[in-house]
Amino acid sequence: MAASLQKGIGVLKEVIDAPIASYFSSCVHCGLCAEACLFYTETGDPQYTPIHKLEPLRRVYRQEYTLMGRLAKLLGLSKPVTDDELEAWKPLVYDSCTLCGRCSLACPVGNDLVYMVRKFREGMAVSGHAPDGLVGASTRAVEIGSPMGVRLPAVQAQMKHVQQETGIDIPLDAEGAEYMVLMSSMEVINFPEYLGAIARIMKQAGKSWTLCSDAFEATNSGIQIGVSDIAKVLVQRIVDGAEKLKVKTVISPECGHAYTALRWEGPNLIGHPYTFKVLHILEVLDGFRAQGLLKTAGFEEARLTFHDPCQLVRRGGVIEEPRNLLKLVANNVVEMRDAGKMNWCCGGGGGVSAIEEAETLRLEAFKIKKAQLEECGATTMVTACANCRIVLEEGLEHYRMNIPVVGLTETIADHLVEGE
Amino acid sequence: MAINNDKDFKDALGKLSRERQRRVGALFAERVLALSHDDKVRIAVQAARRADASETELGAALQAAQAASVDSYTQCGHECNWDTQAGHFVAESVLASINPPDGGANAAWEAAMHARMARTCEAISAGRGTDNAEPGAQYRILEDFLNS
Repeated sequence: MAASLQKGIGVLKEVIDAPIASYFSSCVHCGLCAEACLFYTETGDPQYTPIHKLEPLRRVYRQEYTLMGRLAKLLGLSKPVTDDELEAWKPLVYDSCTLCGRCSLACPVGNDLVYMVRKFREGMAVSGHAPDGLVGASTRAVEIGSPMGVRLPAVQAQMKHVQQETGIDIPLDAEGAEYMVLMSSMEVINFPEYLGAIARIMKQAGKSWTLCSDAFEATNSGIQIGVSDIAKVLVQRIVDGAEKLKVKTVISPECGHAYTALRWEGPNLIGHPYTFKVLHILEVLDGFRAQGLLKTAGFEEARLTFHDPCQLVRRGGVIEEPRNLLKLVANNVVEMRDAGKMNWCCGGGGGVSAIEEAETLRLEAFKIKKAQLEECGATTMVTACANCRIVLEEGLEHYRMNIPVVGLTETIADHLVEGE
Repeated sequence: MAINNDKDFKDALGKLSRERQRRVGALFAERVLALSHDDKVRIAVQAARRADASETELGAALQAAQAASVDSYTQCGHECNWDTQAGHFVAESVLASINPPDGGANAAWEAAMHARMARTCEAISAGRGTDNAEPGAQYRILEDFLNS
Protein backbone atom coordinates (compact mmCIF):
# COMPACT_ATOMS: atom_id res chain seq x y z
CA MET A 1 0.00 0.00 0.00
CA ALA A 2 1.46 3.35 -1.06
CA ALA A 3 1.91 5.84 1.76
CA SER A 4 -0.11 9.04 1.73
CA LEU A 5 -1.25 11.77 4.09
CA GLN A 6 -4.89 10.87 3.47
CA LYS A 7 -4.33 7.26 4.49
CA GLY A 8 -2.28 8.35 7.47
CA ILE A 9 -4.98 10.69 8.74
CA GLY A 10 -7.50 7.91 8.19
CA VAL A 11 -5.41 5.60 10.37
CA LEU A 12 -5.03 8.28 13.05
CA LYS A 13 -8.82 8.59 13.18
CA GLU A 14 -9.11 4.82 13.48
CA VAL A 15 -6.55 4.41 16.26
CA ILE A 16 -8.25 6.98 18.50
CA ASP A 17 -10.15 4.51 20.62
CA ALA A 18 -11.92 5.04 23.94
CA PRO A 19 -8.70 4.93 26.01
CA ILE A 20 -6.94 7.50 23.82
CA ALA A 21 -9.98 9.78 23.83
CA SER A 22 -10.16 9.58 27.61
CA TYR A 23 -6.42 10.19 27.94
CA PHE A 24 -6.54 13.38 25.87
CA SER A 25 -9.61 14.66 27.70
CA SER A 26 -8.16 13.91 31.13
CA CYS A 27 -4.67 15.38 30.64
CA VAL A 28 -4.20 18.12 33.23
CA HIS A 29 -1.07 19.60 31.59
CA CYS A 30 0.95 19.10 34.75
CA GLY A 31 4.21 18.39 32.93
CA LEU A 32 5.17 15.41 35.07
CA CYS A 33 5.60 13.29 31.96
CA ALA A 34 8.41 15.65 30.91
CA GLU A 35 10.36 14.91 34.08
CA ALA A 36 9.93 11.18 33.40
CA CYS A 37 11.45 11.32 29.89
CA LEU A 38 15.22 11.04 29.58
CA PHE A 39 15.21 13.00 26.33
CA TYR A 40 13.70 15.95 28.19
CA THR A 41 15.66 15.66 31.43
CA GLU A 42 19.01 15.39 29.64
CA THR A 43 18.44 18.16 27.10
CA GLY A 44 16.01 20.49 28.88
CA ASP A 45 14.26 20.92 25.54
CA PRO A 46 10.48 21.17 26.07
CA GLN A 47 9.71 19.67 22.66
CA TYR A 48 10.62 16.31 24.20
CA THR A 49 7.74 16.48 26.69
CA PRO A 50 5.90 13.22 25.97
CA ILE A 51 2.41 14.72 25.68
CA HIS A 52 3.77 17.31 23.24
CA LYS A 53 5.07 14.52 21.01
CA LEU A 54 1.42 13.60 20.48
CA GLU A 55 0.19 17.05 19.42
CA PRO A 56 -0.85 16.13 15.83
CA LEU A 57 -2.79 13.14 17.16
CA ARG A 58 -4.43 15.37 19.75
CA ARG A 59 -5.53 17.78 17.01
CA VAL A 60 -7.07 14.96 14.99
CA TYR A 61 -8.87 13.85 18.14
CA ARG A 62 -10.25 17.33 18.79
CA GLN A 63 -11.22 17.98 15.18
CA GLU A 64 -12.95 14.66 14.71
CA TYR A 65 -14.32 13.66 18.09
CA THR A 66 -15.13 16.80 20.11
CA LEU A 67 -17.95 19.28 19.49
CA MET A 68 -15.78 22.37 19.86
CA GLY A 69 -13.08 20.88 17.71
CA ARG A 70 -15.53 20.06 14.94
CA LEU A 71 -16.97 23.56 15.05
CA ALA A 72 -13.51 25.08 14.93
CA LYS A 73 -12.64 22.88 11.96
CA LEU A 74 -15.85 23.89 10.14
CA LEU A 75 -15.14 27.57 10.73
CA GLY A 76 -11.54 27.22 9.61
CA LEU A 77 -10.24 28.07 13.06
CA SER A 78 -8.33 24.83 13.48
CA LYS A 79 -5.56 24.02 11.03
CA PRO A 80 -5.46 20.55 9.49
CA VAL A 81 -2.56 18.16 10.09
CA THR A 82 -0.22 18.33 7.10
CA ASP A 83 2.56 16.23 5.62
CA ASP A 84 5.11 18.87 6.58
CA GLU A 85 3.91 18.79 10.17
CA LEU A 86 4.09 15.00 10.42
CA GLU A 87 7.58 15.07 8.91
CA ALA A 88 8.58 17.67 11.49
CA TRP A 89 7.19 15.43 14.23
CA LYS A 90 9.15 12.38 13.07
CA PRO A 91 12.12 13.04 15.38
CA LEU A 92 9.72 13.44 18.29
CA VAL A 93 7.68 10.31 17.66
CA TYR A 94 10.58 8.03 16.74
CA ASP A 95 14.08 9.42 17.48
CA SER A 96 13.24 10.69 20.95
CA CYS A 97 10.87 8.02 22.18
CA THR A 98 12.10 4.57 23.14
CA LEU A 99 8.60 3.39 24.11
CA CYS A 100 10.12 2.88 27.55
CA GLY A 101 6.84 3.63 29.31
CA ARG A 102 8.29 5.71 32.12
CA CYS A 103 5.98 8.61 31.26
CA SER A 104 2.97 6.31 31.51
CA LEU A 105 3.91 5.33 35.06
CA ALA A 106 4.56 8.94 36.04
CA CYS A 107 1.25 10.34 34.78
CA PRO A 108 -0.88 11.21 37.82
CA VAL A 109 -4.17 10.65 35.97
CA GLY A 110 -3.07 7.32 34.53
CA ASN A 111 -2.68 8.26 30.89
CA ASP A 112 -0.83 5.53 29.03
CA LEU A 113 1.32 7.85 26.93
CA VAL A 114 3.43 5.08 25.44
CA TYR A 115 0.27 3.40 24.17
CA MET A 116 -0.63 6.67 22.49
CA VAL A 117 2.80 7.04 20.89
CA ARG A 118 2.56 3.45 19.66
CA LYS A 119 -0.78 4.22 18.04
CA PHE A 120 0.46 7.54 16.65
CA ARG A 121 3.27 5.64 14.94
CA GLU A 122 0.62 3.65 13.05
CA GLY A 123 -0.50 6.84 11.31
CA MET A 124 3.05 8.07 10.84
CA ALA A 125 4.06 4.85 9.09
CA VAL A 126 1.04 4.78 6.78
CA SER A 127 1.54 8.43 5.85
CA GLY A 128 5.16 7.74 4.88
CA HIS A 129 6.85 9.41 7.84
CA ALA A 130 8.57 6.46 9.48
CA PRO A 131 12.39 6.60 9.61
CA ASP A 132 14.23 4.79 6.82
CA GLY A 133 16.06 2.58 9.32
CA LEU A 134 12.83 1.17 10.69
CA VAL A 135 11.30 0.80 7.23
CA GLY A 136 14.32 -1.28 6.18
CA ALA A 137 14.21 -3.40 9.33
CA SER A 138 10.49 -4.07 8.93
CA THR A 139 10.87 -4.97 5.26
CA ARG A 140 13.67 -7.44 6.05
CA ALA A 141 11.69 -8.91 8.93
CA VAL A 142 8.78 -9.74 6.64
CA GLU A 143 10.77 -10.80 3.58
CA ILE A 144 13.75 -12.56 5.17
CA GLY A 145 12.49 -13.36 8.64
CA SER A 146 14.91 -11.11 10.49
CA PRO A 147 15.13 -7.31 10.74
CA MET A 148 18.89 -7.61 10.42
CA GLY A 149 18.85 -9.99 7.47
CA VAL A 150 19.80 -13.15 9.37
CA ARG A 151 18.90 -16.30 7.43
CA LEU A 152 18.72 -19.87 8.66
CA PRO A 153 22.21 -20.85 7.36
CA ALA A 154 23.70 -18.14 9.58
CA VAL A 155 21.83 -19.53 12.57
CA GLN A 156 23.04 -23.03 11.71
CA ALA A 157 26.60 -21.72 11.46
CA GLN A 158 26.28 -20.27 14.93
CA MET A 159 24.75 -23.50 16.21
CA LYS A 160 27.77 -25.37 14.93
CA HIS A 161 30.13 -22.86 16.49
CA VAL A 162 28.38 -23.20 19.85
CA GLN A 163 28.35 -27.00 19.60
CA GLN A 164 32.11 -26.91 19.08
CA GLU A 165 32.62 -24.55 21.98
CA THR A 166 30.38 -26.29 24.50
CA GLY A 167 30.37 -29.88 23.27
CA ILE A 168 26.57 -29.84 23.53
CA ASP A 169 24.24 -30.55 20.59
CA ILE A 170 21.90 -27.71 19.71
CA PRO A 171 18.50 -29.20 18.82
CA LEU A 172 16.64 -27.86 15.79
CA ASP A 173 12.98 -28.64 15.05
CA ALA A 174 12.73 -31.20 17.85
CA GLU A 175 9.00 -31.97 18.02
CA GLY A 176 7.55 -32.32 21.50
CA ALA A 177 10.34 -30.44 23.27
CA GLU A 178 9.26 -28.65 26.44
CA TYR A 179 10.80 -25.33 25.46
CA MET A 180 11.15 -23.54 22.12
CA VAL A 181 13.97 -21.04 22.41
CA LEU A 182 13.81 -17.85 20.36
CA MET A 183 16.73 -15.56 19.72
CA SER A 184 17.05 -11.99 18.59
CA SER A 185 19.13 -11.30 15.50
CA MET A 186 21.41 -9.35 17.82
CA GLU A 187 22.25 -12.55 19.65
CA VAL A 188 22.84 -14.49 16.45
CA ILE A 189 25.12 -11.77 15.11
CA ASN A 190 26.83 -10.24 18.13
CA PHE A 191 26.39 -12.54 21.11
CA PRO A 192 26.82 -16.24 20.28
CA GLU A 193 27.55 -16.78 23.97
CA TYR A 194 23.81 -16.49 24.66
CA LEU A 195 23.00 -19.68 22.78
CA GLY A 196 25.94 -21.43 24.44
CA ALA A 197 24.63 -20.37 27.84
CA ILE A 198 21.16 -21.72 27.04
CA ALA A 199 22.64 -25.05 25.97
CA ARG A 200 24.63 -25.40 29.19
CA ILE A 201 21.76 -24.36 31.44
CA MET A 202 19.21 -26.62 29.77
CA LYS A 203 21.62 -29.52 29.99
CA GLN A 204 22.12 -29.03 33.71
CA ALA A 205 18.42 -28.49 34.34
CA GLY A 206 17.61 -31.65 32.40
CA LYS A 207 15.08 -29.90 30.18
CA SER A 208 14.25 -30.64 26.55
CA TRP A 209 14.40 -27.67 24.23
CA THR A 210 14.70 -26.74 20.59
CA LEU A 211 15.22 -23.98 18.10
CA CYS A 212 12.72 -23.73 15.24
CA SER A 213 13.92 -23.34 11.67
CA ASP A 214 10.76 -21.45 10.69
CA ALA A 215 10.72 -19.20 13.74
CA PHE A 216 14.09 -18.53 15.32
CA GLU A 217 13.65 -14.76 15.42
CA ALA A 218 11.92 -13.15 18.40
CA THR A 219 12.10 -9.47 17.57
CA ASN A 220 9.15 -7.60 16.13
CA SER A 221 9.90 -4.47 14.16
CA GLY A 222 6.20 -4.11 13.40
CA ILE A 223 5.76 -2.99 17.00
CA GLN A 224 8.62 -0.51 16.73
CA ILE A 225 7.64 1.14 13.46
CA GLY A 226 3.97 1.05 14.36
CA VAL A 227 2.41 -1.28 11.79
CA SER A 228 0.14 -3.81 13.45
CA ASP A 229 -0.24 -5.85 10.27
CA ILE A 230 3.51 -6.51 10.21
CA ALA A 231 3.56 -7.17 13.96
CA LYS A 232 0.79 -9.72 13.48
CA VAL A 233 2.65 -11.54 10.68
CA LEU A 234 5.77 -11.81 12.84
CA VAL A 235 3.86 -13.09 15.89
CA GLN A 236 1.95 -15.58 13.74
CA ARG A 237 5.23 -16.99 12.45
CA ILE A 238 6.25 -17.88 16.01
CA VAL A 239 2.82 -19.25 16.86
CA ASP A 240 2.90 -21.50 13.79
CA GLY A 241 6.38 -22.75 14.71
CA ALA A 242 5.43 -23.46 18.31
CA GLU A 243 2.24 -25.27 17.34
CA LYS A 244 4.03 -27.32 14.69
CA LEU A 245 6.62 -28.46 17.22
CA LYS A 246 3.99 -28.91 19.95
CA VAL A 247 6.10 -27.19 22.59
CA LYS A 248 4.74 -26.25 26.01
CA THR A 249 6.60 -22.97 26.47
CA VAL A 250 8.20 -20.43 24.14
CA ILE A 251 11.14 -18.58 25.67
CA SER A 252 11.57 -14.95 24.70
CA PRO A 253 15.28 -14.08 24.66
CA GLU A 254 17.29 -11.27 26.24
CA CYS A 255 15.43 -8.67 24.20
CA GLY A 256 13.03 -6.17 25.67
CA HIS A 257 10.50 -5.35 23.02
CA ALA A 258 10.35 -8.93 21.70
CA TYR A 259 8.95 -9.91 25.08
CA THR A 260 6.31 -7.16 24.99
CA ALA A 261 5.36 -8.01 21.42
CA LEU A 262 5.06 -11.74 21.95
CA ARG A 263 3.80 -12.03 25.49
CA TRP A 264 1.60 -8.99 25.96
CA GLU A 265 0.52 -7.85 22.50
CA GLY A 266 0.71 -11.12 20.58
CA PRO A 267 -2.64 -12.73 21.44
CA ASN A 268 -4.49 -9.50 20.70
CA LEU A 269 -2.63 -9.11 17.42
CA ILE A 270 -3.55 -12.58 16.17
CA GLY A 271 -7.01 -12.51 17.74
CA HIS A 272 -6.91 -15.59 19.97
CA PRO A 273 -5.04 -17.04 22.97
CA TYR A 274 -1.90 -19.11 22.55
CA THR A 275 -1.84 -22.88 23.01
CA PHE A 276 1.49 -22.53 24.81
CA LYS A 277 3.02 -20.33 27.49
CA VAL A 278 5.39 -17.45 26.75
CA LEU A 279 8.06 -16.60 29.30
CA HIS A 280 11.09 -14.37 29.28
CA ILE A 281 14.35 -16.25 29.73
CA LEU A 282 14.79 -14.65 33.18
CA GLU A 283 11.40 -15.98 34.28
CA VAL A 284 12.44 -19.45 33.13
CA LEU A 285 15.81 -19.27 34.86
CA ASP A 286 14.31 -18.00 38.09
CA GLY A 287 11.85 -20.89 37.95
CA PHE A 288 14.79 -23.29 37.57
CA ARG A 289 16.46 -21.59 40.53
CA ALA A 290 13.36 -21.99 42.69
CA GLN A 291 13.21 -25.69 41.78
CA GLY A 292 16.88 -26.18 42.67
CA LEU A 293 17.85 -26.94 39.08
CA LEU A 294 20.66 -24.39 38.88
CA LYS A 295 23.79 -25.58 40.64
CA THR A 296 26.33 -22.80 40.70
CA ALA A 297 29.68 -22.20 42.34
CA GLY A 298 31.71 -19.12 43.08
CA PHE A 299 30.90 -15.44 43.00
CA GLU A 300 31.69 -12.60 40.63
CA GLU A 301 34.59 -10.50 41.83
CA ALA A 302 33.28 -7.26 40.37
CA ARG A 303 30.84 -4.86 41.99
CA LEU A 304 27.75 -5.54 39.87
CA THR A 305 24.64 -3.58 39.10
CA PHE A 306 21.64 -4.68 37.08
CA HIS A 307 20.21 -2.49 34.33
CA ASP A 308 16.50 -3.26 34.12
CA PRO A 309 15.31 -3.34 30.50
CA CYS A 310 12.22 -1.13 30.29
CA GLN A 311 9.96 -3.66 28.65
CA LEU A 312 10.72 -6.27 31.29
CA VAL A 313 10.01 -4.13 34.32
CA ARG A 314 7.35 -1.71 33.15
CA ARG A 315 5.38 -3.92 30.76
CA GLY A 316 6.11 -7.30 32.32
CA GLY A 317 6.83 -6.76 36.00
CA VAL A 318 9.99 -8.88 35.79
CA ILE A 319 11.80 -7.16 38.66
CA GLU A 320 12.66 -9.71 41.34
CA GLU A 321 13.70 -12.52 38.96
CA PRO A 322 17.02 -11.00 37.85
CA ARG A 323 17.87 -10.05 41.42
CA ASN A 324 17.15 -13.56 42.65
CA LEU A 325 19.42 -14.91 39.94
CA LEU A 326 22.21 -12.44 40.65
CA LYS A 327 22.29 -13.56 44.28
CA LEU A 328 23.34 -17.00 43.04
CA VAL A 329 26.55 -15.70 41.53
CA ALA A 330 27.32 -12.34 43.11
CA ASN A 331 27.60 -11.04 46.65
CA ASN A 332 28.58 -7.49 45.80
CA VAL A 333 25.55 -6.08 44.02
CA VAL A 334 24.56 -2.43 44.15
CA GLU A 335 21.38 -0.85 42.86
CA MET A 336 21.29 2.21 40.67
CA ARG A 337 19.07 5.11 41.69
CA ASP A 338 15.55 4.46 40.34
CA ALA A 339 16.34 0.79 39.69
CA GLY A 340 13.42 -1.53 39.13
CA LYS A 341 10.17 -0.34 37.65
CA MET A 342 11.30 3.29 37.31
CA ASN A 343 14.75 2.53 35.91
CA TRP A 344 15.99 4.86 33.21
CA CYS A 345 16.09 3.54 29.67
CA CYS A 346 19.40 2.86 27.90
CA GLY A 347 18.17 5.32 25.26
CA GLY A 348 18.09 2.92 22.33
CA GLY A 349 14.83 0.99 22.73
CA GLY A 350 11.66 1.23 20.67
CA GLY A 351 13.63 1.19 17.43
CA VAL A 352 15.77 4.23 18.27
CA SER A 353 19.03 2.32 17.86
CA ALA A 354 18.01 1.50 14.27
CA ILE A 355 17.69 5.21 13.44
CA GLU A 356 21.08 6.64 12.47
CA GLU A 357 19.85 10.25 12.68
CA ALA A 358 19.04 9.69 16.35
CA GLU A 359 22.57 8.81 17.45
CA THR A 360 23.67 12.23 18.71
CA LEU A 361 20.51 12.68 20.77
CA ARG A 362 20.76 9.12 22.09
CA LEU A 363 24.26 9.76 23.39
CA GLU A 364 23.09 12.99 24.99
CA ALA A 365 20.29 11.12 26.74
CA PHE A 366 22.82 8.55 27.97
CA LYS A 367 24.04 11.09 30.51
CA ILE A 368 21.33 9.89 32.89
CA LYS A 369 22.75 6.35 32.79
CA LYS A 370 26.23 7.75 33.26
CA ALA A 371 25.05 9.58 36.37
CA GLN A 372 23.32 6.47 37.73
CA LEU A 373 26.52 4.48 37.33
CA GLU A 374 28.78 7.11 38.85
CA GLU A 375 26.51 7.36 41.88
CA CYS A 376 26.40 3.63 42.61
CA GLY A 377 30.05 2.88 41.88
CA ALA A 378 29.45 -0.37 39.99
CA THR A 379 32.40 -1.83 38.10
CA THR A 380 30.38 -4.16 35.87
CA MET A 381 26.88 -3.80 34.52
CA VAL A 382 24.60 -6.79 33.94
CA THR A 383 21.50 -6.66 31.80
CA ALA A 384 19.07 -8.92 29.97
CA CYS A 385 18.51 -7.24 26.63
CA ALA A 386 20.95 -7.49 23.72
CA ASN A 387 19.94 -4.07 22.42
CA CYS A 388 20.40 -2.44 25.83
CA ARG A 389 23.79 -4.12 26.03
CA ILE A 390 25.16 -2.59 22.85
CA VAL A 391 23.60 0.81 23.51
CA LEU A 392 25.12 0.78 26.99
CA GLU A 393 28.53 -0.24 25.66
CA GLU A 394 28.43 2.56 23.10
CA GLY A 395 27.45 5.11 25.72
CA LEU A 396 30.14 3.95 28.09
CA GLU A 397 32.74 4.07 25.34
CA HIS A 398 31.57 7.54 24.32
CA TYR A 399 31.95 8.83 27.87
CA ARG A 400 35.19 6.90 28.43
CA MET A 401 33.83 4.78 31.26
CA ASN A 402 35.57 1.44 31.58
CA ILE A 403 32.63 -0.64 32.78
CA PRO A 404 32.05 -3.99 31.07
CA VAL A 405 28.47 -4.94 30.20
CA VAL A 406 27.46 -8.60 30.32
CA GLY A 407 24.30 -10.62 29.82
CA LEU A 408 22.69 -12.20 32.87
CA THR A 409 22.02 -15.57 31.22
CA GLU A 410 25.67 -16.06 30.26
CA THR A 411 26.77 -14.82 33.70
CA ILE A 412 24.69 -17.56 35.31
CA ALA A 413 26.01 -20.15 32.85
CA ASP A 414 29.60 -19.17 33.64
CA HIS A 415 29.04 -20.27 37.24
CA LEU A 416 27.34 -23.61 36.57
CA VAL A 417 28.84 -26.62 38.24
CA GLU A 418 29.22 -28.80 35.18
CA GLY A 419 30.29 -32.36 34.60
CA GLU A 420 28.40 -33.87 37.51
CA MET B 1 52.78 -32.61 22.49
CA ALA B 2 50.31 -33.15 19.65
CA ILE B 3 46.92 -31.48 19.98
CA ASN B 4 44.09 -32.81 17.87
CA ASN B 5 40.88 -31.97 19.68
CA ASP B 6 39.28 -29.15 21.63
CA LYS B 7 39.46 -30.90 24.98
CA ASP B 8 43.25 -31.22 24.84
CA PHE B 9 43.43 -27.73 23.37
CA LYS B 10 41.39 -26.17 26.18
CA ASP B 11 43.22 -28.13 28.87
CA ALA B 12 46.61 -27.06 27.52
CA LEU B 13 45.53 -23.41 27.31
CA GLY B 14 44.18 -23.55 30.84
CA LYS B 15 47.56 -24.59 32.20
CA LEU B 16 49.31 -21.52 30.81
CA SER B 17 50.15 -18.52 32.94
CA ARG B 18 48.04 -15.40 32.47
CA GLU B 19 50.83 -13.71 30.53
CA ARG B 20 51.30 -16.68 28.19
CA GLN B 21 47.55 -16.94 27.68
CA ARG B 22 47.54 -13.32 26.53
CA ARG B 23 50.36 -13.93 24.07
CA VAL B 24 48.97 -17.08 22.51
CA GLY B 25 45.48 -15.54 22.47
CA ALA B 26 46.91 -12.67 20.48
CA LEU B 27 48.38 -15.17 18.03
CA PHE B 28 44.90 -16.62 17.45
CA ALA B 29 43.64 -13.09 16.78
CA GLU B 30 46.59 -12.39 14.51
CA ARG B 31 45.75 -15.38 12.31
CA VAL B 32 42.37 -13.81 11.46
CA LEU B 33 43.65 -10.23 11.46
CA ALA B 34 43.09 -9.85 7.71
CA LEU B 35 39.34 -9.95 8.44
CA SER B 36 39.59 -6.66 10.35
CA HIS B 37 40.08 -3.31 8.67
CA ASP B 38 40.57 -1.39 11.87
CA ASP B 39 44.09 -0.22 12.69
CA LYS B 40 43.21 -0.16 16.38
CA VAL B 41 42.94 -3.94 16.28
CA ARG B 42 46.38 -4.32 14.68
CA ILE B 43 47.92 -2.10 17.32
CA ALA B 44 46.27 -4.13 20.08
CA VAL B 45 47.42 -7.46 18.63
CA GLN B 46 51.00 -6.25 18.30
CA ALA B 47 51.10 -5.22 21.94
CA ALA B 48 49.29 -8.28 23.27
CA ARG B 49 51.60 -10.80 21.61
CA ARG B 50 54.79 -9.33 23.08
CA ALA B 51 56.29 -10.92 26.19
CA ASP B 52 57.83 -7.62 27.25
CA ALA B 53 54.72 -5.44 26.84
CA SER B 54 54.45 -2.97 29.71
CA GLU B 55 51.29 -2.34 31.74
CA THR B 56 50.98 1.03 30.03
CA GLU B 57 51.21 -0.54 26.59
CA LEU B 58 48.68 -3.19 27.53
CA GLY B 59 46.35 -0.55 28.91
CA ALA B 60 46.50 1.33 25.62
CA ALA B 61 45.96 -1.93 23.72
CA LEU B 62 42.95 -2.70 25.87
CA GLN B 63 41.42 0.69 25.12
CA ALA B 64 42.09 0.27 21.40
CA ALA B 65 40.54 -3.20 21.31
CA GLN B 66 37.56 -2.07 23.36
CA ALA B 67 36.92 0.87 21.04
CA ALA B 68 37.26 -1.33 17.96
CA SER B 69 34.84 -3.85 19.42
CA VAL B 70 32.18 -1.25 20.18
CA ASP B 71 32.67 0.46 16.81
CA SER B 72 32.06 -2.76 14.93
CA TYR B 73 28.92 -4.07 16.60
CA THR B 74 26.00 -4.49 14.24
CA GLN B 75 23.33 -2.25 15.72
CA CYS B 76 19.84 -3.50 16.43
CA GLY B 77 17.71 -3.20 13.29
CA HIS B 78 20.64 -2.58 10.93
CA GLU B 79 21.30 -5.04 8.12
CA CYS B 80 24.20 -7.30 9.02
CA ASN B 81 27.30 -7.20 6.86
CA TRP B 82 29.01 -10.46 7.78
CA ASP B 83 32.40 -9.24 6.54
CA THR B 84 32.23 -6.29 8.92
CA GLN B 85 30.96 -8.58 11.63
CA ALA B 86 34.00 -10.81 11.14
CA GLY B 87 36.09 -7.76 12.01
CA HIS B 88 34.09 -7.34 15.19
CA PHE B 89 35.04 -10.80 16.36
CA VAL B 90 38.71 -10.19 15.57
CA ALA B 91 38.49 -7.21 17.92
CA GLU B 92 36.70 -9.39 20.49
CA SER B 93 39.43 -12.00 20.16
CA VAL B 94 42.28 -9.69 21.04
CA LEU B 95 40.14 -8.00 23.67
CA ALA B 96 39.56 -11.36 25.37
CA SER B 97 43.28 -12.11 25.35
CA ILE B 98 44.08 -8.82 27.12
CA ASN B 99 41.04 -8.42 29.33
CA PRO B 100 39.09 -11.68 29.63
CA PRO B 101 35.61 -11.34 31.15
CA ASP B 102 36.19 -14.11 33.70
CA GLY B 103 39.36 -12.69 35.15
CA GLY B 104 41.83 -14.67 33.10
CA ALA B 105 41.16 -18.36 33.67
CA ASN B 106 40.23 -18.95 30.05
CA ALA B 107 41.63 -15.92 28.27
CA ALA B 108 43.27 -17.80 25.42
CA TRP B 109 40.31 -20.14 24.98
CA GLU B 110 37.98 -17.13 24.76
CA ALA B 111 40.29 -15.51 22.23
CA ALA B 112 40.33 -18.71 20.19
CA MET B 113 36.53 -18.95 20.17
CA HIS B 114 36.14 -15.36 19.02
CA ALA B 115 38.70 -15.94 16.28
CA ARG B 116 36.71 -18.96 15.13
CA MET B 117 33.56 -16.87 15.14
CA ALA B 118 35.33 -14.33 12.91
CA ARG B 119 36.11 -17.12 10.48
CA THR B 120 32.51 -18.35 10.68
CA CYS B 121 31.27 -14.86 9.78
CA GLU B 122 33.61 -14.88 6.77
CA ALA B 123 32.19 -18.24 5.70
CA ILE B 124 28.60 -17.01 6.07
CA SER B 125 29.41 -13.95 4.00
CA ALA B 126 30.97 -16.07 1.26
CA GLY B 127 28.12 -18.58 1.36
CA ARG B 128 30.60 -21.34 2.00
CA GLY B 129 28.60 -23.15 4.65
CA THR B 130 29.88 -23.63 8.14
CA ASP B 131 33.07 -25.64 7.93
CA ASN B 132 36.33 -23.92 8.61
CA ALA B 133 39.87 -24.99 9.29
CA GLU B 134 40.46 -22.60 12.16
CA PRO B 135 40.47 -25.16 15.00
CA GLY B 136 43.23 -27.18 13.33
CA ALA B 137 45.26 -24.05 12.68
CA GLN B 138 44.87 -23.00 16.31
CA TYR B 139 46.08 -26.41 17.51
CA ARG B 140 49.25 -25.94 15.43
CA ILE B 141 49.74 -22.39 16.75
CA LEU B 142 49.54 -23.68 20.31
CA GLU B 143 51.92 -26.56 19.62
CA ASP B 144 54.46 -24.17 18.13
CA PHE B 145 53.99 -21.79 21.05
CA LEU B 146 54.52 -24.55 23.60
CA ASN B 147 57.61 -25.80 21.77
CA SER B 148 59.18 -22.37 21.34
